[in-house]
Amino acid sequence: MIQESIKRILILTKKNITLYIKKGPVLIFGLMFPFFMTLSWVIGRKISFELIFIGIIAMTSFFTATAISPVVLPIETREKSLEKIISSPISLNEILWGIVLASTLYSMIITSIISVIFMLMLSIDFNSLITILLMFFGIGLMSILGSLLGLLVAANPTDMTSDVMIIVNLIKFPLLFISGIFVSLHAIPLNMVIISFLSPVTFLADLFRFCIEGNNFFFVEFDILMLFVWIIALFILNYLFHKKTMPKRLSETASKKKMMMMKKNMA
Amino acid sequence: MIKISQNLDLNKSSVAIKVSNLTKRFGPLVAVNNVSFEIGRGEIVGILGPNGAGKTTTIRLLTGVFKLENNARIEIFGKDIIENPTRYKKDFGIVPEVSNAFSGYSVWQNLMFSGGIYGLSKDEMEERSNTLLNQFDLISKKHSKTKTLSKGLKQRLNLCQALVHDPPILILDEPTSGLDPISVNLMRKQILKLKGEGKTILITTHDMQEAQTICDRILIMNKGKIIADESPDTLREQFKSTSTILFKTEGKLKENQVKILSKIGNLVTKKSGYHVFSSENALKDIANLYQTTEENNITITDLKIKDTSLEEVFIHLIENDLKFVEEVGNK
Repeated sequence: MIQESIKRILILTKKNITLYIKKGPVLIFGLMFPFFMTLSWVIGRKISFELIFIGIIAMTSFFTATAISPVVLPIETREKSLEKIISSPISLNEILWGIVLASTLYSMIITSIISVIFMLMLSIDFNSLITILLMFFGIGLMSILGSLLGLLVAANPTDMTSDVMIIVNLIKFPLLFISGIFVSLHAIPLNMVIISFLSPVTFLADLFRFCIEGNNFFFVEFDILMLFVWIIALFILNYLFHKKTMPKRLSETASKKKMMMMKKNMA
Repeated sequence: MIKISQNLDLNKSSVAIKVSNLTKRFGPLVAVNNVSFEIGRGEIVGILGPNGAGKTTTIRLLTGVFKLENNARIEIFGKDIIENPTRYKKDFGIVPEVSNAFSGYSVWQNLMFSGGIYGLSKDEMEERSNTLLNQFDLISKKHSKTKTLSKGLKQRLNLCQALVHDPPILILDEPTSGLDPISVNLMRKQILKLKGEGKTILITTHDMQEAQTICDRILIMNKGKIIADESPDTLREQFKSTSTILFKTEGKLKENQVKILSKIGNLVTKKSGYHVFSSENALKDIANLYQTTEENNITITDLKIKDTSLEEVFIHLIENDLKFVEEVGNK
């Protein structure tokens, strides 16, 4: 039973990666946005290589993780392939896992490649192998978290990717700005530190600071715990929201068509 | 309105689909209104109805796309689907009206996807897919992207996908809609072949000829309700005494003339220029028609009397149902 379920999740994951990796919104919001954000942040400022590196990988993992997961459901609603999936022996949980896993893998692979490139380019030193592994562990957690965040916004029962991407960006940017990527938590007032708790990126950036600079604000264990708390909370919210909105998502497009037909018939 | 025959001559164990009290609302609109029916194992049942009658919604309820409301119940081979909502879907192969295959996948990738989610092993998937691609003459398109296929080819792919796990029940939602005559013919032949293999088939259509040719039984739906449930022959038999009168007039009929002539029968003007109405007493109605036309200076240039086809039965039923709804509404 579980084996069959895992098999279905993997088939959905493969489909999501194959079909959506090259979609416009994924490329724009997943790759181009972090690149230009970093560029505009770095150019003309005296920032240490370590801080640049932290910013790059935190932004890349966050942006790439929130790139695929929001677009899958709107596209599949529009193309009616979601109807095919729903009428197949696939549960809602499997559909959601298929999207999260695809998005996570995409984010992990892209962020890991970029991390290695910039690690070598900027000659970043790590204290030990454990800190390197910890950094990749952090990338993994952020990839899951970002995917769940993007998927949560996609619970909005629309078939327009732009509707979802606008909301995703509305959420992403504030989360990034309050996270302590651009300004160290040590340098901001306490009330701002409290606000920074609202962003999961805070704990990721702090974890990266520990790995690279050894200059973290919270305990590493606390950072990891908070990332897990965010992941669990987002997973529960995703399940609840999608369970509620999935029937609406399928009904609304059908309802529009039905109303049009009724009007036509009456005319 | 025709009595809905619920006493089907089916062995209890041979009922493939039993549907009770299906209802679906879209806000104030009741798309499917308390629909109940049974389909025997190996039967081909057609759901006929005009656009917006509730055919596709019924199928979506049946296939789990829409949630069941209130006391609705669906049994597949005697088992309530609530017992295992995911498992029962393995008994279905579904062909939608509009292709829902992944457009970015090739024909082969779509088949592998379907086979995989229905739990087939790699060998089974490959063997079955190759057989189906040959059977449906799609083998040359094996590696073509689905988005490059014509509508007819996409519909064949949909049928292949629906059959890849060899389901006992096939649900086809207007499978020939918008296809060229060759593809329609091929599709109908394949459907009959599948019936020969013992598959239970539920098909929605608004093509009378299709329903007449391939269906064992027809459910006629209008405004979310089943208004008739009979075999095509029985339906025609019930309207045997009814004829269709077609006539052409010199020049176009004016609005007041149409009004006057509509008193004889429910007048419909066809694209060919013929005015058509159904009659239960052809001789009397023709005499009436001549008298009325003469009194109103209308010249009849051509007149034909036809036996009732299934299409006319369908129109008659839908019109009567509309009249009935209007009468109830007026009361």
